[in-house]
Amino acid sequence: MFGITKIQFFNSNLKVLSTIIQQNGMSQYPNYYIKPIYKKDSQEELIKSGEIKKLSHLPTRAALADQTSSFSNDPLANLLINYCMREGNKILARNLVEQCFENIKRLQLEKYHKTTNEEDKHQIDLDPKSILHKAIENCKPILQLTPIKRGGVRYQVPVPITDKKAQFISMKWLIAAGQEKESTVRFNLQLARELIDAANNTGRVIKKKQDLHRQCEANRAYAHYRWS
Amino acid sequence: MYSSSIRFIFKNILPLKTPVQCFSSAPLLLSPEKLQRFRTTESQCLKHKDEHLGLFYTISEEDRKRIFIYGGIPKSFDVQTKTFNETCLMIRQPSLDIINCLRNLDYSKPVVRFVLYGKKGSGKSLSLAHILHYGYQSGFLIVHIPWLGNWMRRCKEYSNSETKEGYVDLNLDAAAWLLNFKTQNSHLLSNPEAKTSIDYVWSKREITPAGSDILNLVDHGINRIKYASDTIIALCEEIKKLSNKGIFRTLVAVDGYNAFFYPNTRVYTEKKEVVHPQNVTVTQGFMSLTNFDWKNGAAVVTVDEIAIAEEDQISHLPRYLLGKEGFEHLDPFVPVHVQNYTEKELTSCLDYYRERKWVNDYPGLDEEVKFVSDSNPYKLMKVCAPL
Amino acid sequence: MILRQIMRVVHPLRPVTLQKNILAGINGSDSYSTEIKDSVPQEEPTKKNISKAMKAYLERAKEHEDFMQKQREEFQIGKRHLANMMGEDPETFTQDDIDHAIEYLFPSGLYEKKARPLMKPPEEVFPQRKAAEFDESGRPYHFLFYTGKPNYYQVLHDISHHLIELNKFEDSMIRKKIQPDPNLALDLSGYQWIDKESLEEKLVETIGDKDYEYFINCFVRLTAVPYAYKIKDFIFEYTEPLLNQVQTYDAVKPHIDSDGKQFITVYECPRKAARGDVTIRFPGTGKITINNQGITYFEDVQSREQLLFPLIFTDMLNKVDIECNVSGGGPSGQAGALRWGIAWGLRSFVDQDIIEKMRIAGLLTKDYRTRERKKPGQWGARRKFTWKKR
Repeated sequence: MFGITKIQFFNSNLKVLSTIIQQNGMSQYPNYYIKPIYKKDSQEELIKSGEIKKLSHLPTRAALADQTSSFSNDPLANLLINYCMREGNKILARNLVEQCFENIKRLQLEKYHKTTNEEDKHQIDLDPKSILHKAIENCKPILQLTPIKRGGVRYQVPVPITDKKAQFISMKWLIAAGQEKESTVRFNLQLARELIDAANNTGRVIKKKQDLHRQCEANRAYAHYRWS
Repeated sequence: MYSSSIRFIFKNILPLKTPVQCFSSAPLLLSPEKLQRFRTTESQCLKHKDEHLGLFYTISEEDRKRIFIYGGIPKSFDVQTKTFNETCLMIRQPSLDIINCLRNLDYSKPVVRFVLYGKKGSGKSLSLAHILHYGYQSGFLIVHIPWLGNWMRRCKEYSNSETKEGYVDLNLDAAAWLLNFKTQNSHLLSNPEAKTSIDYVWSKREITPAGSDILNLVDHGINRIKYASDTIIALCEEIKKLSNKGIFRTLVAVDGYNAFFYPNTRVYTEKKEVVHPQNVTVTQGFMSLTNFDWKNGAAVVTVDEIAIAEEDQISHLPRYLLGKEGFEHLDPFVPVHVQNYTEKELTSCLDYYRERKWVNDYPGLDEEVKFVSDSNPYKLMKVCAPL
Repeated sequence: MILRQIMRVVHPLRPVTLQKNILAGINGSDSYSTEIKDSVPQEEPTKKNISKAMKAYLERAKEHEDFMQKQREEFQIGKRHLANMMGEDPETFTQDDIDHAIEYLFPSGLYEKKARPLMKPPEEVFPQRKAAEFDESGRPYHFLFYTGKPNYYQVLHDISHHLIELNKFEDSMIRKKIQPDPNLALDLSGYQWIDKESLEEKLVETIGDKDYEYFINCFVRLTAVPYAYKIKDFIFEYTEPLLNQVQTYDAVKPHIDSDGKQFITVYECPRKAARGDVTIRFPGTGKITINNQGITYFEDVQSREQLLFPLIFTDMLNKVDIECNVSGGGPSGQAGALRWGIAWGLRSFVDQDIIEKMRIAGLLTKDYRTRERKKPGQWGARRKFTWKKR
């Protein structure tokens, strides 16, 4: 078969490809198919840097069902929808997240109409997607604790975390916080409140992150167990 | 298309009256703020004209509290008005046409029935709200059922009727409606000529004598919930008589009229059998009000798929939704088709959302939203919600 | 000399003269007849010094060579016969012509192309073998014979040799203060390294995965040198050109219908279990019809956005009319099928560079993914039953 190995790609001087190519054992596509670049501005960037010519030799996967080139399509929002999804019920998950965004807008607009000061009005963010981005960014932990066994004892050792993992943990915490609520309150409303709080660097999820950081700081002494 | 059908009916049933003298309201009224493309400051429904089509007008807070306190504005729209801090309705062709008709109607002729129909989410209820506002501002006596589905499919309490055999009462709903009626029409009900024509005997000790105020009748219904449904029937008859005499000009507005003819209600007898809406006491009152055996009034009614159960929501057309009974009862009526947004209306609506800071704008928003929502007003609102 | 069991192979790179030597060796006394004038003086080998194993080895090599020679002759004769049969000129009868002729004369319905009748030069049919790697005295010809994979290590040796030379050259250039010419720089963007099987065929040796990895690493190291263009012939020997994906998408010319409008119909749009066909008419107003219904055929917003995707990407939203029919599958599959159909059809109304952009956006790839089957002994496709230690 047409097998191209990981090494060939990683070592060829293609910065673009090294971020695109992945070895995915579970995908039904052959591993040399690259993920599509479906946003117009991402494509513009590639054209400017001249790397688009190198993509002309690589077959592309088909764009997924939740990807469009519209500006309203946000990859992080899509991820959030997927994480909220249970048993493949994408329609329900999407409705939840959309209602969550609607709630964010309503809460923010309420605040906006209440404040009389022009400056404060400008501070209030009315775009739910930007609030989502800020919230996720603010909740990302820098370290995580992993159990490492030394001398029969399992220590919780602070260990650096990759960006992707941090993002995943942040989103998982946000969703979990959305689910911890009274039964009268809706998930989308609770999640909206959590997102707004997190974007302002307050709230339960930020506290959780700070707790984790404190724990990591407390377990500093074990950090060398990572290598011993 | 349908405006020609209106003219046809008018030719055959009523002669066209000369148009009411309106004040020439130039849309570019001198107002402190700059007039936006999608808004009009004309808050008098009387003065809404063709040039106002596609524009938003504001309903004042007091009007809103008066007319729509019990309902009439759909919940999703209601939430939106809270967020936007104002109640703005779009002036659209169907409601404008009916308002024009109401302005030019010969009220000495029997009552004309208008039926608003359209696909789900096309704007029937809000058109009705606009017409209701017009009616209120023009001094009509308003008989308004906000959403018939609430009575037939989500009734608060049902009980066997005492006065009529085999009939079921919805007393709590009836009492609430009477209160609503009172609030909507309090300025008219204080008219000294609004008196009952006959005695109403409720029980051995309770009689509403002839010649007492209508207001008394209404209060009786509110206070004695047991007799609320019967009061409504009595009230309906009185309203017809008073309209015939010319004391009131009545506007009957029912949202979801087809629920009167859909057999699968969620109203049950005490034996848990399904009750046909014709066996509900309250229905009789409103059926007689939408009849054409009285004058000096008008009836505007919507037929909606959502008023019936989901499995039977096949068509949005009046003949199917009303069924044979309903169609024969309402025949002849003026059908008014409420369609999806036109280009102008869509742009206007999106501009309004942008101005209210509801939608975060990006290039190409208009076309994309138009495509995805298919210009359906309700779908447009849903699609714009997360943007 | 103890003979090792080595794959006896004809070495393609070896000059033919060495084979003559072998033959000479087998024939014993004929080896040093006056015809062959080898400058290398050798000891006079006596027949008695050649061991039986050695003899057998040399015989086998000769046999193979004879066999190959015979096959070559037969092939040539057969080719000429075939040309005569087909009424063509035997002199100018190419391999392509042979292939067509065989396909015509021996039509086969077999699905496996390799199982169909073929007529190819014997080098392609019979596996290559190395020529005798050592002479009758047991002395190997290749200096790296004792590595076990002489050809492989030969290449690595060449790489290191080139590296040293290029580095020297670079040093001299730096001393002269000359920069390497950027125009001449080696561009490998259209090429991929030779894959393991082809390399094995080329070297006529089996190599392991680790060896192959190391081989590629060495080449990559070599190409990283600034003056690599000087040995680009050597490098390109071990590369294969990549298919330029753009050329695989040739847009069909649109038809003209009775109204004078251009239209194009894409049949068999697949996605999971859904199958659809899409007709695009240009110029149009942005109308869209699915199974005689508007876009309200799809109730959920995601499916509608999927249909919107190719249209806004190519800015053809209100410029074309679309009529589709779709059946089978669920809403998501149907929407995906139609999305592909619209994108595929839009190629005919759009420029080549936008087609390339569509391809990179993933609009033009048929999504052949299907639901993975459930396996016995598991809950589903992947989920296993609870693991019990005993």
